[in-house]
Amino acid sequence: MDIFLGFVYVGLSSIGGAAGPLRYVLVVRRKWLSEGDFSEVFGIAQVLPGATGANVAAMVADRFGRFPAVLAGLAGFCLPSMFVAIGLLSIATRLSASSPRFVAAETAVTAAVAGLFIGNGTRLARDLWTRAHDRRRWRTARLGIAVAGIVLIVAYHVWIPAAVLILASLSLALEWAEREAERRQTT
Amino acid sequence: MIDILLTLAGRFVVLSLFAVGGGVSILIPQIHQEFVHQYHWLNERTFAELIAVAQASPGPNFLLMPLIGFRVASWPGAFVGLIAFMAVPLVLALTAGRILHDHENETIRMLRRAFRPLTSGMWIASGIVIALAVDRGVTGLAFTIAVAACALFVEANPLWFCLGAGVIGALLGS
Repeated sequence: MDIFLGFVYVGLSSIGGAAGPLRYVLVVRRKWLSEGDFSEVFGIAQVLPGATGANVAAMVADRFGRFPAVLAGLAGFCLPSMFVAIGLLSIATRLSASSPRFVAAETAVTAAVAGLFIGNGTRLARDLWTRAHDRRRWRTARLGIAVAGIVLIVAYHVWIPAAVLILASLSLALEWAEREAERRQTT
Repeated sequence: MIDILLTLAGRFVVLSLFAVGGGVSILIPQIHQEFVHQYHWLNERTFAELIAVAQASPGPNFLLMPLIGFRVASWPGAFVGLIAFMAVPLVLALTAGRILHDHENETIRMLRRAFRPLTSGMWIASGIVIALAVDRGVTGLAFTIAVAACALFVEANPLWFCLGAGVIGALLGS
């Protein structure tokens, strides 16, 4: 029950990404995990397929009470906010059928979401360039992979799973090559 | 009805496998391609509405899947979307959580790093696909560019950018 309520709070308080609320509830409020444990679980969840938040919820609940706890955690995380979202969707559909002004607002929000994605992606690319202290050629190669992703999808409409596989293997090869190069330098 | 639900479930299971690197958002071009162009379950307008509602409502981002399910096949569709999208990743997460506990940190760190260029590129691609699906008029483009600049340079909850755009959009009218 405690797990269910904890995740109800996470679910309803996460807008635009569950990472912040997850950390707040799991580490700060309920103290179920230490800061280090949280970043470990979050890292694994991020690498695995699926929604990061749901993966974290499942893994954390699994540590407490195995399967019943997992179901309680996921139900708390997903269901209340799903009902809210479907409610909002029904309202939006009704309003947009009657009011052109609402359609204009909705179109503007969608255009804003597009901008949000572009801005966040660019921010990540900027971090790849400025934060890394690697040599220039590794950083250039990373940005190259990002640009290749944009071109493959937007210009060539490559099937996303194929694009993910190609880019992920290129990127992994790059990380591996860099690690090997560093290892050779230190020895 | 059962046909549609089964097809939906199949699509969501496949999609769930490729939501790697921590972003359901990278699936958006694929969702657009399949649900609008291939199956004709959504049109550009309902697709845009779903994106807006999914972003504006509280809850994890992957609620976009049950929302799409709801639009296509009402309540059964919503639950199919939710469960089909979570099922396989859930099994993987539980397995990985039990096996990886306390070790192989180095591998995880490398995988995380490796996903970052991919995520970056695919977020931008998703943004472009959404921008093209929305009205192509100058106002739409202006909103997209303005919010992209805000997201890049201002530290704030993204909800404010979306709300602001909605209010200005409503004031400008159709």
